[in-house]
Amino acid sequence: MSPTKIHPDQMYIEGLATNDSAIIQTIYKKFVPKVVMFVMNNSGDKEHAQDIVQEVMILLFNQSKANTLQLTCPFDAYFFLLCKRKWLNELKKTSNKGVTINEDAVSINESALELIGHTEEFDEKQQLFDTMFQKLGDKCQELLKLSFTIKSMEEVAEKLNVTYGYVRKKKSLCVGQLTQWIQEAKNFKSLKNN
Amino acid sequence: MNEERYILFDQYLQGEMTVEEKNSFEKQLSEDHEMVSEFETFKEVQVQLKNKFEHEDEREVFKANLTSISDKHFNASKPKVVLMRPWYYAAAASIIILCGLFFFDYNNPTFDDYNNPETASFVERGDSDTNLIQAQAAFNDGKYDVAIPLFEAILKVNNTAEIQYFYGVSLLEESKYPKAEIVFNELIAGTSVYKEKAKWSLALSKLKQKKYKQCKEILQTISQDYENYDDVEQLLDELD
Repeated sequence: MSPTKIHPDQMYIEGLATNDSAIIQTIYKKFVPKVVMFVMNNSGDKEHAQDIVQEVMILLFNQSKANTLQLTCPFDAYFFLLCKRKWLNELKKTSNKGVTINEDAVSINESALELIGHTEEFDEKQQLFDTMFQKLGDKCQELLKLSFTIKSMEEVAEKLNVTYGYVRKKKSLCVGQLTQWIQEAKNFKSLKNN
Repeated sequence: MNEERYILFDQYLQGEMTVEEKNSFEKQLSEDHEMVSEFETFKEVQVQLKNKFEHEDEREVFKANLTSISDKHFNASKPKVVLMRPWYYAAAASIIILCGLFFFDYNNPTFDDYNNPETASFVERGDSDTNLIQAQAAFNDGKYDVAIPLFEAILKVNNTAEIQYFYGVSLLEESKYPKAEIVFNELIAGTSVYKEKAKWSLALSKLKQKKYKQCKEILQTISQDYENYDDVEQLLDELD
């Protein structure tokens, strides 16, 4: 594998991660009009475009916060393609007609496609995680939230007015429950793909 | 749910096992593929939980900021459609007709609407070039006829994009179009920071000469990164 070189456009990613208004505005000014055009030319309207863009921005924020986003291609191509694919998937979901995604692969370099693959995988995993997290009981949700914000399990126990031993065990089991559901979903998916 | 297993996973990750327990756990892992896969997912879930809660406040702030920027962006380029009741239409129509009667002659945008020459500040502290100081003062006072020969003298010895730009603007203010447009075109062909500004000035020159079509064509070549792109959009709108 050749060493990957980070593209100077990484500044847009950093700007999103640090909630830099000037950078966010620049992204809207420079890169969003193209997305709007595309959505409007493909059975959507401005509101659809606005939503898609917002979803992708939040996705990029999350991925950069997880430290797994390093841009190796221009932001322009990467961002546009992400939005485009998200919109086409949206169309697929809502219409019965099959929508074919024509990749104008010639104009996109390999590293952009690879990067988009990573981001979409991140997105998928996160959506699965979020769905499963919502399925957990209130007690588990509360305990996990405290465990991952407070860090010290002694303090968590104190706050919930239970013993340390209990929160430790309960935390393992709540994470275990999530693990089990996600594992099942993964197994089901690989079964479907094989 | 295999409770024992998840408790083991957590103990292992927290480093709460004795050496023997650890060895036996790792041995078990090495023999059981399914367990490895489940252990990986367990670790992944921990990372996701960490990401979810560690940045939760930041994420909310980001989303709020994003929404406000997004709304501003989308509403600026598209005025919100407001539902109007029928009698509003009648009222609105009559006002439009009245305005139309009053302003019929002023349909086209004029040069004066957009003529805001910026303040020149090319003289640096300690600069003793009298031509430069006088040119800047004359330009900022709006005495362009005085500034022009001074700029010409300066350009002979010190031909910079900045001076060219202000020279061009002075020529335009004095309605010396051919000369001004040569200067602007030269800047447009170059790579200085005055490139986009020169396009805007050239467009204004066409506007001043009431060459609306040419003005529009030039405006359309201006990059959206241009600092006063709002003016460009507004003028384009008015020219339509």
